[in-house]
Amino acid sequence: MYCYGGKILEVNLSTGEGIKKALDEKLASKYLGGDGFGAYFMNKIVDPSIDAFSPENAIIIAPGLLTGTVVPTAGKTAFFSKSAMNNGWNESVMGGRIGFTLKQAGYDVLIIRGKASKLSYLVIKDDEVIIKSAEHLKGETTRKTAEEIKKDEGDVIVASIGIAGEKLVRFACVDCDERQAGRGGIGAVMGSKNLKAIAVQGTKDIKVAKPDKLYKLMEKYYEEMINHPSFEADGKYGTGEFLEWMNSERGTFPTRNWREGVFDERKEIDPYYWAPRFAVKNKACIQCIKPCGKAFVMKEFEGVVDGVEYETLFALGSNCGVAGIEHVAKANELCDLYGMDTISTGGVIGFVMDLYENGILSKEEVGVEANFGNGDAMLELIEKIAHRKEIGDLLAEGVKRAAEKLGKEAEKYAVHVRGLEPPAYDVRGIKGMALAFMSSPRGACHLRSGAYALELTGKFWKFEGVDRFSSENKGIEIAEMENFMAVYDALGVCKFSRGIFLLNFEEILDAAIGKKLSEEELLKIGERICNLKHIFNIKAGWKKEDCKLPEKMHQPIPKGVSKGSYISKEEERKMLEDYFKARGWDKNGIPTKKKLEELDIEEFMK
Amino acid sequence: MRVKAIPENCSGCMVCEIVCSLKHWNVINRYKSGIRIERKSVVEDIPHVCSHGRECQFECISACKFDAMKRKNGVVYVDYEKCVGCKACEKACPLNAVWIHEKKAYKCDLCGGDPQCVRFCSQNALVLEV
Repeated sequence: MYCYGGKILEVNLSTGEGIKKALDEKLASKYLGGDGFGAYFMNKIVDPSIDAFSPENAIIIAPGLLTGTVVPTAGKTAFFSKSAMNNGWNESVMGGRIGFTLKQAGYDVLIIRGKASKLSYLVIKDDEVIIKSAEHLKGETTRKTAEEIKKDEGDVIVASIGIAGEKLVRFACVDCDERQAGRGGIGAVMGSKNLKAIAVQGTKDIKVAKPDKLYKLMEKYYEEMINHPSFEADGKYGTGEFLEWMNSERGTFPTRNWREGVFDERKEIDPYYWAPRFAVKNKACIQCIKPCGKAFVMKEFEGVVDGVEYETLFALGSNCGVAGIEHVAKANELCDLYGMDTISTGGVIGFVMDLYENGILSKEEVGVEANFGNGDAMLELIEKIAHRKEIGDLLAEGVKRAAEKLGKEAEKYAVHVRGLEPPAYDVRGIKGMALAFMSSPRGACHLRSGAYALELTGKFWKFEGVDRFSSENKGIEIAEMENFMAVYDALGVCKFSRGIFLLNFEEILDAAIGKKLSEEELLKIGERICNLKHIFNIKAGWKKEDCKLPEKMHQPIPKGVSKGSYISKEEERKMLEDYFKARGWDKNGIPTKKKLEELDIEEFMK
Repeated sequence: MRVKAIPENCSGCMVCEIVCSLKHWNVINRYKSGIRIERKSVVEDIPHVCSHGRECQFECISACKFDAMKRKNGVVYVDYEKCVGCKACEKACPLNAVWIHEKKAYKCDLCGGDPQCVRFCSQNALVLEV
């Protein structure tokens, strides 16, 4: 099988056993790789009723089908596990080299189950699989952990967790190459398994069906990408390039725990300000020729971070009202080193600041003067959360659980959808994205649909004339965009290349695996994957009633271009109904027998 | 002629390693590349590639006891008929730009004058120095 490592590796940390199985060809053609394998194996081997921190939970790591080829920007690796945030489906995709390397070691899927008796790390060197003690790395940062393991193991790629993962901070992430599988707490699940890191060396060949053809396609897409109008600006300013546009032209840049959609104090957090002053070089994911990462070297603080990404400029910037870029960058670095998702971290700190300003939490309770805009307080709260100290212990549970513990008054200020803190799109003025937050299998998420660009510009792919202030026709739009993006996550292609490739992978796949797949065929696979994630959620206790927006999203945006826009309860209900219909699910959101048969996944609903 | 690295421009994307192995060996394998990127820290991505004598004294050629490391028209290359993978060149190279993988030496051969790593480096971290 071209483009595949050919094997599945299952490691049980409780017994120390490692089992290798051949990858079934039928499975590969039905699910492609990455997201597809995750959807299949999560349903196949994880008991949906268990707690995320149960040893029975699995961590599944799968490179995309095109990860490990020359296809530009197709170097992604997907991580899966039951979510530490909501106990349902979770996935997080990153651009570190671990997936590429796993494939070179011969594995398309790595499944980790059980729990080690003491803090450990897993070493995979081609066919060799060993579990070693990581007691000496206890409490170490993600960065230091990787450095130390490389000293001992040689040329390995390391995915590691920091103190936050060890302490079971629910939104702890996994770091590899200073890139993160950030969302949904996969780092916490690793911590619950006493797994500090995974170190991989792969030295085998990845074979492709038609090397010459693939090479020619590489040339074609290389030219197309570097000559694309966005190449220069993205390269200079990274993912935050459109921050000012989001703020001023669209008025949908969430600010101060979603009080506003415009951040007036944004000057410094705009990459057009900070990149020329602090970014010393570009940083890329593996296989990427248009790097959006920036090596940010701090001046006032001591530190360096691969960032600051758009979502983080919101979460640890506007959402906490923090205007100073060095504070944002330092917070970003602390989150990376301690191993915490920046979006959820900023979400929970913004929440606390809101409670503090509204008199629900006192200075004594918070431990610092937590007004919006207090960058030092933000840094101190990050320390407390990562170490679960004082109020940090509560905040480490995420906004939803913290609000439940604090009671009714606090819940009004709690911004989450199905337990996950939302990313940087004020969906009150991007109504399709409001639906996407509700329909996403992992909770509030911009990436499963990626529909924000379509909504904010009005057109993409087959859609035209999309009105972001309207809630009409959003069901079909979001369902189709989710299918589209599931294909990207199965192939391992970066979503920032969606305007380049669309779903024109026919020739690429012919060259890579020797089989042409049309847009229609790919979308069918994408739909299958989306349905499987949903099926997992249903078995894990998903309810239609949980798919709702936080209270703040029912209140109008107070100023800016999107002033006055909000999502009514009626719109919320209607969009969700439209979505179920577009998906071929019944009115309660349960996939019909017909749909399951059509997608050939009936066995999973039993 | 040589591939000159400008580390401060390198994004660490590894595309050079990937295209090198595909071009020369029809497979993707970072260990079969004639160039390697060391991702040392957030601010340091260091390409290692042969200077073809510009920054060395041809230590690999002197070290090879099997006459497998050769030089023709200014290009230092491996004669795979003769290479036994003894690691003498790897140890001798002062630039860390020759590697042994599965009993074979891998290094830059300048792709016949049109180095593909340079061609596909979008960040100008690799340039052709004539």
